[in-house]
Amino acid sequence: MAGATRTPLIREDASRPEAVAGLAIAVAVALIAVGIASLFGLVGIDATLGGGSGMTAIGGVTTVTALGGLLVALGAAVIGLGVGSALGYVETEPSPNAGLVATVAFAGVWFVLGGLAASVAFDGVLAWLPAGAATGGAAFVTAAATREDVGSTLPAGAVAVVIGGTFLTGTIGPSWVWDLGFEQQASLTATFVVPAATIGCGLLAGWAAAKAYGGFGARGRRMGAYLLIYVNASAIIGVLFLLIAFTAVRGIPGLLTGATVAPGAGPTVSVLGVSVALPVSVPFVMNGVSLLNDFQGVLPAIVGTVWLVVGAVVFAVPLGVGAAVFLTEYAERGRLTQAVEIATNGLWSTPSIVFGLFGFTFLVPRFGGTKSLLSGMLTLGFMLLPLVLITSREALLAVPDEYRDASAALGVSKWHTIRSVVVPAALPGVVTGVILGVGRIAGETAPILLTMTGGTFVSGDRAADVIGGFAFTAQPPFVTNPELLRATTALPFQLYALITAGVGLGDNVSNPTEFQWATAFVLLLVVLSFYAVGIGARYYFRRRLRHE
Amino acid sequence: MSETTPTSETDRTTTEEPDRETTEEPNQTTTEEPNQTTTAESTEADDSTNATTHTTTGEADERVREEWREYEFAGKPKFAVEDLDVHYGDDHALQGVSIEIPENSVTALIGPSGCGKSTFLRCLNRMNDRIKGARVDGSVRIDGREIYQDGVNLVELRKRVGMVFQSPNPFPKSIRENVAYGPAKHGDIETGLLARLLGRSDEAARDRLVEECLRDAALWEEVNDRLEDNALGLSGGQQQRLCIARCLSVDPEVILMDEPASALDPIATARIEDLIEQLSEEYTVVIVTHNMQQAARISDQTAVFLTGGELVEYGDTDQVFEDPRSERVEDYITGKFG
Amino acid sequence: MSHTTDTRTDAAVTRWRRRLRAFREETSTAALVTVGTMTVALLASLVGFLLASPLTALPFAVFLLAAGVGWIRHQGLTARVVTFAMTVSTVLILLLITAFIAVESIPVIRYGTATAFGVPVPGLRLFTETRWDAVSEPIRYSMVPMIHGTVMVTAIATAVAAPLGVAAALFLSEIAPGPVREFVKPGVEILAGIPSIVYGFIGFTILSPWASDQFRTTGQGSYLFVGIVVGLMALPTVVSVAEDALSSVPESMKSGSLAMGTTDWQTMTSITLPAAFSGVSAAVLLGVGRAIGETMAATVMLRGVPQLTKPLYNVFYGQETLTSLIANNYGNAHGLQMDALFLAGVILFITVLAISIGSQYIEWRMHRKLGGEL
Repeated sequence: MAGATRTPLIREDASRPEAVAGLAIAVAVALIAVGIASLFGLVGIDATLGGGSGMTAIGGVTTVTALGGLLVALGAAVIGLGVGSALGYVETEPSPNAGLVATVAFAGVWFVLGGLAASVAFDGVLAWLPAGAATGGAAFVTAAATREDVGSTLPAGAVAVVIGGTFLTGTIGPSWVWDLGFEQQASLTATFVVPAATIGCGLLAGWAAAKAYGGFGARGRRMGAYLLIYVNASAIIGVLFLLIAFTAVRGIPGLLTGATVAPGAGPTVSVLGVSVALPVSVPFVMNGVSLLNDFQGVLPAIVGTVWLVVGAVVFAVPLGVGAAVFLTEYAERGRLTQAVEIATNGLWSTPSIVFGLFGFTFLVPRFGGTKSLLSGMLTLGFMLLPLVLITSREALLAVPDEYRDASAALGVSKWHTIRSVVVPAALPGVVTGVILGVGRIAGETAPILLTMTGGTFVSGDRAADVIGGFAFTAQPPFVTNPELLRATTALPFQLYALITAGVGLGDNVSNPTEFQWATAFVLLLVVLSFYAVGIGARYYFRRRLRHE
Repeated sequence: MSETTPTSETDRTTTEEPDRETTEEPNQTTTEEPNQTTTAESTEADDSTNATTHTTTGEADERVREEWREYEFAGKPKFAVEDLDVHYGDDHALQGVSIEIPENSVTALIGPSGCGKSTFLRCLNRMNDRIKGARVDGSVRIDGREIYQDGVNLVELRKRVGMVFQSPNPFPKSIRENVAYGPAKHGDIETGLLARLLGRSDEAARDRLVEECLRDAALWEEVNDRLEDNALGLSGGQQQRLCIARCLSVDPEVILMDEPASALDPIATARIEDLIEQLSEEYTVVIVTHNMQQAARISDQTAVFLTGGELVEYGDTDQVFEDPRSERVEDYITGKFG
Repeated sequence: MSHTTDTRTDAAVTRWRRRLRAFREETSTAALVTVGTMTVALLASLVGFLLASPLTALPFAVFLLAAGVGWIRHQGLTARVVTFAMTVSTVLILLLITAFIAVESIPVIRYGTATAFGVPVPGLRLFTETRWDAVSEPIRYSMVPMIHGTVMVTAIATAVAAPLGVAAALFLSEIAPGPVREFVKPGVEILAGIPSIVYGFIGFTILSPWASDQFRTTGQGSYLFVGIVVGLMALPTVVSVAEDALSSVPESMKSGSLAMGTTDWQTMTSITLPAAFSGVSAAVLLGVGRAIGETMAATVMLRGVPQLTKPLYNVFYGQETLTSLIANNYGNAHGLQMDALFLAGVILFITVLAISIGSQYIEWRMHRKLGGEL
């Protein structure tokens, strides 16, 4: 207990170094953003700053050179922060060393850097190993043996300075290419290396600057880690947003091809015997594909997806909920529950293509020997089953035992307790789980690939009509439904078929790319609407629970 | 198991809720609160020496008087709290608490459930910062320095003001690592792979520290042969003493204890009480307790909080227990309510 | 050894007998008949279905009828029996999957028999050679190129999903302020919901041409980018399972550490993460399982040529994974080639099942460690 260090309870004002560190973090984040943008081709790395229109204000500096300059400045700033702290110009609380994780990471980065430099310089010679070991070792010693303020800024800043230097001097210019010398030929080009290296350096230097911002020590490490974690979280959300926005932007033109809004423009729908012509016509989701159509569409695929989902739900939900009821209410914890748990978790992680194979060998021969809607429904039902079981079980377990006891104390039989108390209380959880599960299976392609799907382009009049298909016969199995036993299509398969159809696509639809993107967008819309409903339902039920 | 199982997520709002023992008489408080606050405001306006707020519970409809909370002691106060108000969302958990806590003594905070004594304790090392929606107004000073201001080093504050919780919460690590956790994290002792690699490992210093702290917490004799064992394997009383040892390892000036014996059996409780009396020679101990006998036994001065989150009476323990100035405190101590 | 087993089985049998007798005594004859009919009818329809008999509908109709009668007259008992049958059927489905795909793969295992040390080992040649050729002689169905592909894709995907996923889980469970959490958490869930074929489509139309251009490869399709895309798809699994594990660490432990004056980051790395270590590793394992089983993105983005890349670590070329092999070839495969696809399915199934059981074991141990002794 003696010898515990004392630091001031209230920190002195340290705004100037903090401002430098903050600026360095901002530059690092900006560099990461520029790096990402140029990876996506939004900023050409050989572009001349100031625009190609001859604005010579910045004197024809290419992006690479500018990035190099920024990197060198950033690295220098980071090193400066560390050295300033080491020389006592700035009040900090550094730890004795940079920490094990940082040390190993630095060693790794410098090993790769040294190794790469050597392989580029001496092509084909095994010089990369000693070179990498030398630089990696040096970084390791620097980080481990010096105090944290130097140990965690010097190796990081030096990376930025070295890489920035190669950009500045033109060692890596816009047209730099390095043939890796593989038997299957591949090269690293500047258009990839420059942005990637910029992002890497930005992360490293930004992390070191954040550490300096927090004054090193425990607070500094927290700052550094938080910077990386926040970058990670925003990157994930960014990717999500980008994926959806990109698909939407590309898909909407195709979706709206030939769409009209006018009274009576749409197809006629009869509800309760009253026929109404819809005022909106969106041919893409209201037509199939046929020669006579003005605009081609994916109606059969949408209908197929809907029927698939309905079939899977009808099969899996009663089964899953029933099994969950038995497991939570009747079964004692023992071998059986354990076996079922292992089986459901096993089923849950089984790859979808394996379900497809199973459907192919087990269901298809038993339903007429050809691919059929029914096989697809059951296969997806098998996939949905473990999910329904797991969520229902969790929902049932979450029902407090007091409910059961209270009901039992009133003399109500066990089954009636389950039916009128337990299951209703668990219903919100079950419903939400089912909706989210449905979202998952609605987008599955692999299982229906092997069990259900037929042609790429299906005409509108061949959209599955399950209800009208039932018929009774005198022969076993007495009930037939040719619609169920016929191959049809579904949105995810439709998209797959469009991808693999390749050249032949142009014969059927006028604008294949638009058609593909529109299909992807419709699929995304269908699946995400399930998710939106599921997440919304969960939110709603939670809020209601809280207010009770 | 799955990413789409909604019910599996633990509802974090409930887990993060402070163990503030929600008020047991909610009807009374909620129904009477509006007009009470207005009276409180008016009284404050006319007569500042008189009560700041109005009570809602208890036999007598009395007002809190300033002099009940006056307690003279020699020396400088360790903590000086002025007009401390805490809100949890719309919930007013502490109302205008002012108190000065003397150094190297045991101060007991007693009161019925939900009176805000735990909240008050958590204000002293800013553990309330963890709770979403908690708002703290007023001033808390330790050795004359304000802890509710910008630029306060929470690490340093919590090193100086240690805390022992209601139920023992050792880390799932070995006994030795539990005790050495604080100093290792604050960089006071260096252990681990890198330090060993550089030959800078302070293992001897660490072992000395562990022994010293465990001895101070009266645990050394029981565990010295199994320092490598997981701390979760100890009994409840041992775990709590381990938590005290852990708290001592960073050399605090103040130790806050939140009902440290409530989860323990009588024998373990007696050991903890002995320990607290020993500790008070070197440390300032502030202890929340439910158990009035315990407060009478171990504390030098006692503060009584009553429902509504106000400090009603504060004084020398003997005086508070034998001759309480407030009628409600008397009722509470004699067991008429609470 | 055998003796003790015998006595244990005997005891179990007597216990069951006693239970059965008790059940018989407390249940009315009519109810027994109904339940018996249901059981027999259900078993008969199962057998009928397995034999692919068109008469299956008959016993199934009897079952439905008996269940209907039972529901009206002895609802409690019927419900119990029906839910029990449902429970058994989940186990049955897993067993059926195992049996059917395993049986289908037997011929190709026989075909791949090779001798090692003079002993013929079935299936050995499938793993020692690297040639897959279903058309020209010698016809060989080696699994090695696809296993290589799956390993490459899974390794890259794990390198993407594990660190990012665990970091995101930490963010969600420990760091994110309330409103941000409310926004990010459904976002991660939606990321899980985007169909794999959409990922594949974007990968195929945007990423693959771009990568081919960047790295100057001949043709499109690289393990590197399939791995990245698959990692992105496995990410939500890692995030949600790891987040569950992290939030199940008791709050009192975290407060205990914070009250010592550590920063919240120190608390996360020294207390929360170690305490939730098993749960977090189970999350990573499940993510690996997802990556192994991912089909559509791999199918549309890879070249679909069952070969090894040259050199083996050349991630800029992507040939074929176990999953894409099945999806690419099921259409025109017959006989042995089809059986080889089933073998690929068996390998996938066994690997993923082992991973699933392993992660359950780890989680079970964690619950015992955190829940049992606290």
